[in-house]
Amino acid sequence: MKKLFHIIILISLISPVKANTLYELIKIPNLEIYDLNTPNKLRYVYAKQPFTIGLDNNINCYNSSNTDLKKKYEIIRNELDKYDQKFLRKINLKYIVLCEDLSISGINTAGIPDNVMKTLIVDIKFNNKYFKRVLHHEVFHIINDSYKEIFNENEWSLLNDKNFSYAECSTCTDKLGLDTYLNTNGFISEYSQSTASEDMAEVYSHIISKIIPKKIDPILTNKINFIKEKLALIDQDFKI
Amino acid sequence: MIEQIKPSRSEKVIFIFIILLALFSITSFFLIKDKCLFVKNHDPNKLKFENSQNIAILNVECGNVIIELYPETSPIAVERFKTLIRTKAYDNVAFHRVIKDKLVQAGDLEFGKKDNLDYGKIGTGKSGLGTIKSEIDNPFDYKKGSVGFSRTSKFNTEDSQFFIILDDEPLYEGEYTPLGKVLYGLDALKKIKYLDKSIYVLRPDFINTFRMLIN
Repeated sequence: MKKLFHIIILISLISPVKANTLYELIKIPNLEIYDLNTPNKLRYVYAKQPFTIGLDNNINCYNSSNTDLKKKYEIIRNELDKYDQKFLRKINLKYIVLCEDLSISGINTAGIPDNVMKTLIVDIKFNNKYFKRVLHHEVFHIINDSYKEIFNENEWSLLNDKNFSYAECSTCTDKLGLDTYLNTNGFISEYSQSTASEDMAEVYSHIISKIIPKKIDPILTNKINFIKEKLALIDQDFKI
Repeated sequence: MIEQIKPSRSEKVIFIFIILLALFSITSFFLIKDKCLFVKNHDPNKLKFENSQNIAILNVECGNVIIELYPETSPIAVERFKTLIRTKAYDNVAFHRVIKDKLVQAGDLEFGKKDNLDYGKIGTGKSGLGTIKSEIDNPFDYKKGSVGFSRTSKFNTEDSQFFIILDDEPLYEGEYTPLGKVLYGLDALKKIKYLDKSIYVLRPDFINTFRMLIN
């Protein structure tokens, strides 16, 4: 056993240094290029092997089968092709990382946005019912993180009923439902009621996915207008 | 009288083999020692260029590397690069970051000079001219031989360091400010010293001279 250990150490020491451009650029290991030929210059990459990143290695994601990747890639491309290169550059999104069973601190999540590294990690195995819309939800977090001053949470919170207050964080509440309300009460889904940021992301994703209930209350109407007005400040040409 | 002993046939064969082996060893020694032996040196004066005002000649141990700069793609960066070349700032500066068959990087004017090499700080030095804005909006195909301005992990931190890629790097588009492309002499860059276990080179190779074709 000891000999085997020494052999492994020896092999690792004599292995030549290998260049890994993707790691160099976005600091996520074990990735390979999936597709670079996109009209909006989004770079799709996938996990060749599981990877662990983040503070205390708290973000984990696993590699997927080629079949799953191919199937989900078409859906993701179709949704994200709605954004043009100019808009994506403004919001700092360039790399889409495809993997499965994505979790942060043990909690499963649909996506992890990082506007600094211009990266969105997507769990391709996330619930199919909400998958398309959730992609835009995560894109909004990139937008929000890049333009915190425009999407001001205090300004947003004032749109709500005076007696309402959000939870401390998105995982500090059991309001996690993603179904679109048929009868809105200032919110478009249960998850909207978790935090101001998640509320904005939910409204945004419904606007982009064109899933707006026929009857909406005045508070939600104001929220929809808020999102549209603020997006116009970032890019007037962005078509909603 | 001493009787002369004739060598047998097998002894003759062994003798010839030893002679050939010695010749082969001596030849190989000189061939291996001269790493530039099979690298063609390009004379810029014997070549014709469409944009001769944008041609720069990087002279390294194995010969000339002839680079065309693209001011239309990155006007600010190319202007900075030309300024540094014209002031001979890159002369005797180390190729401090080299990845075999991938890239060579040089241009640390503070800690990379031959007479003032600082292994602890190389790669972090400044030119004294300040940083410039990244120019990444124009399309640029990062094919083998492309020259780009290096930066820190943040944009708008380009200063004097540059890299030349030895293989296609499509992911660099939109990440690094392009400066130009190598027209001739990429083989000379492949001979720049690299280490197997580190991308930072101990006792590195140096730029001999870096000049514009037309000053």
